[in-house]
Amino acid sequence: MEIPKITTVLPFEDFPVETDRTWVDWVHDAGDPRKNHLKAEALDDILVLDVSEGNIGALFGSSILGEFGADVIRIEPPGGDIARKFSPFGYMYKGTGLGYLMEGRNKFHITLNLKTPEGQEAFRRLAAQADVVIEAFKPGVMDEWGLSYRFLREINPRLIYASLYTYGHFGPEAGCGKPDYDICDQARSGVMAVTGEPEENGEPQAWNVPTKEGNWMGWYAGGGWTAFGILTALHYRHITGEGQMVDVAPPDAELRFCDYHIQYYHTVQQVRGLVGAYDSAVFPYTIVKTKDGFSFLAGFSDVNWEGLTNIMKDPELRAKFPTIFDRLNKANQPIIHKEIEKWSVNYTGDEILDMVQDYVLNRRGPGTVATAPMTDIKETFEDEVWWDRGVFDKGTDPYYGDVAFQCPPWKMTLTPARVKWMCRPVGGDNEYIFMKYLGIGKEKLKELEKANIV
Amino acid sequence: MSREDYLAWTNQEFDASRIFAKPEALRGIRILELCTLILGPATPDYLGEFGAEVIKVELPGAGDTMRSVTPYGTFWKNASIGQLPQNHNKYHMALDVRVSMGAEIFRRLAKRCDVVVENLRAGTMDRWGIGYEQLKEINPGIIYIALNGFGQWGGYAEGRASYDAVAQTVSGLLATTGFPGRLPLKTGVFIGDYFGAQMGATAVLAALHYRDRTGQGQFIELSQGENLMRLLDWSWIYYYLEKYNRPRTGNRDLAICPSDVFMCKDGPVALAAAREDEFKGLCQAMGKPEVAENPRFKDLETRLKDENAVALLEIIKEWAKGKTVAEVDQLGEQHGFASSPILTAKDQYESPHFRARASVFEYEDPIYGKMVEVCSPAKLSKTPARHKWANKPVGMDNEFILRKFLGLRTYQIQALAEKKIIGKWVENPPGRKPPEDWDGKAGIIF
Repeated sequence: MEIPKITTVLPFEDFPVETDRTWVDWVHDAGDPRKNHLKAEALDDILVLDVSEGNIGALFGSSILGEFGADVIRIEPPGGDIARKFSPFGYMYKGTGLGYLMEGRNKFHITLNLKTPEGQEAFRRLAAQADVVIEAFKPGVMDEWGLSYRFLREINPRLIYASLYTYGHFGPEAGCGKPDYDICDQARSGVMAVTGEPEENGEPQAWNVPTKEGNWMGWYAGGGWTAFGILTALHYRHITGEGQMVDVAPPDAELRFCDYHIQYYHTVQQVRGLVGAYDSAVFPYTIVKTKDGFSFLAGFSDVNWEGLTNIMKDPELRAKFPTIFDRLNKANQPIIHKEIEKWSVNYTGDEILDMVQDYVLNRRGPGTVATAPMTDIKETFEDEVWWDRGVFDKGTDPYYGDVAFQCPPWKMTLTPARVKWMCRPVGGDNEYIFMKYLGIGKEKLKELEKANIV
Repeated sequence: MSREDYLAWTNQEFDASRIFAKPEALRGIRILELCTLILGPATPDYLGEFGAEVIKVELPGAGDTMRSVTPYGTFWKNASIGQLPQNHNKYHMALDVRVSMGAEIFRRLAKRCDVVVENLRAGTMDRWGIGYEQLKEINPGIIYIALNGFGQWGGYAEGRASYDAVAQTVSGLLATTGFPGRLPLKTGVFIGDYFGAQMGATAVLAALHYRDRTGQGQFIELSQGENLMRLLDWSWIYYYLEKYNRPRTGNRDLAICPSDVFMCKDGPVALAAAREDEFKGLCQAMGKPEVAENPRFKDLETRLKDENAVALLEIIKEWAKGKTVAEVDQLGEQHGFASSPILTAKDQYESPHFRARASVFEYEDPIYGKMVEVCSPAKLSKTPARHKWANKPVGMDNEFILRKFLGLRTYQIQALAEKKIIGKWVENPPGRKPPEDWDGKAGIIF
């Protein structure tokens, strides 16, 4: 009798077969994002309550935990979080804005009116069972409801309680009362003081101002550090059993990314101004116009500068600015930039890339030069290399249907982060979560709805 | 009353003067670093601020390339200012891992560590016999993270040099930063490096949690360009759904209205108000309560429509022209909308708020004296982050590390130095050696 063959392959799991074993082959196979769903999850023992409102940073923080496998319950006020409205031109997709849609991943979305005593009690019961709470109210709001860390630690000493707010929950400005928005987070972080086009010829134009990064970088920095702080506290809890409070101010968060900003001021009492296409520490390290767009070009050290000017066939330019100090000189940078641009506008970005790669890979002369043609959102998104790498993915979400999204950035051999679903509508998981954690069934839930508690 | 009461409590819980009276969350975690520039070294640095013990391995002599990268070529007390922000609390070991005896020392150190961090080209560590596959044989619980520009494998992974700005250029961040019709703007800081390192450190912590549960280690990789793509919020989904190719829009936020930067009499101010009470407060502050009643601005969804947003931002722009930054900021506080001046490093350095939060952190270094740097923004009430000492000259802790962790004797260490397996700083280029007035002892443990 023939024993039937048991397959371990499910539909659409056509993985490439392992060939010769180099490091690249091994790591491609071992960290292949297409196999993520076959592996364990790092945080699937953790329950997170994200009770933030109007804050994409907090949502990103809980996204990271959710991507690593934590059960995340998003608690919104009845009617939904205002962050669901943060969407370009007010665009709504099945009732939810795109900012929220992207950071609703892997979470259960419920509603609860924390302004009512019943809502507060329900939250307290959830917090008693949770490992992590994330909130983004102004300091004192949760406290007024009896839900700040000093109250919750009494009922759950293992709880890790994270707050996120522009001015933080302590320090002399914490009580200023102003709300938290990305633009102010970036403004206070220091990044805008150096991002922007400096004035030319002493005639300021509308664009000669401190400029924000295109995305919500201030908020994302805050959320990234919130997840980091929570995980650090989680390790300490593993050792000691004790929870604690984690407080993150997004401007502090992005300040930690602002180079030697503070150190430069401390050591030589200098501040950098707007850098534009120039740079304070490495030049040329710049953006130039090309025939068909823009490219990044770098040739900073003497040997790399030689390489760049060889490719440009411009030994005179090399001789004019022979040392790194000549090239870092603030007055010289615009001159060098203009000279490189005079050359670069004659070629497409890809032609420059080909020239550079030919020079570097075939060792046609000394130095390593780096270049990259700029890709916009369309070009980046349509680049198959990123899809192969698992940077982007699309899928059929049970509620939102056909959507595309950016994936977690890490590849891991044992417990990779992943996206399981995109988002849920307002209150979409009320029934499941109230049943599972609070013993509240359908009928009781209806009553709570009528009373505007959920 | 209640808010003051709460803030009094938080200020006490997070009192910066008590940082050294509290334990460290990552005490007992040891990290071996083989990294240069920023993306690599910042990853263990963020963990070292919470007590992880970091052994930084550099090549003898010139060491980390970042020792040459410093603002306007300024070397301070013979140190590169650019090297400081991602190297604190570390032990500095200069070891030539390219030769077999050096690789063996690295392997022995890795056996004593919990985490290995590297940012070399894919496969380099493997060739030297110290890659993940080799290290996990001698230390199965090891968490190994490799960070670089284009990843360990894939269409761009081979043969392309990458820098922070390359990551910005290929990720869509550059294309969406700046003003319409103008040159796309590099973010003025190495955001791809530092944020990449931060996310790398976060993954190490997640892996550590899994190891706490199961004892198992793993390999992690991160590409800084791919990381920036993760952070570009709604850009990709909007393109997918509506073929909208997100442009540069200066300081205007297309998804929150109003949210922009406005020129006052004496400089720019950032301002935002999405919620209805905040927006009414703003209109009140402008002396134009009727604007809030205008059907074109009645709620956030309506305000966000392009023509309405443009009209509203124009009204605010005209109003801001006649005000000072301080006046607008004061009105923000009074009427509950978001406002802020654009802070410079000097503002932050002098700010009592940033000092009280220990984000701007002052300490005394044995070699460089008084230091003021940026410490971790994650504030943990029971286990706060801290700086103990600054970046050190190349190879300063060789003897200490080899004796403490590997039990080597003086004559063995001397022989390794003679064979140039280990080494110290070179005089030139600058950025490697101790300050001119160094007494030959400060900073050396033994």
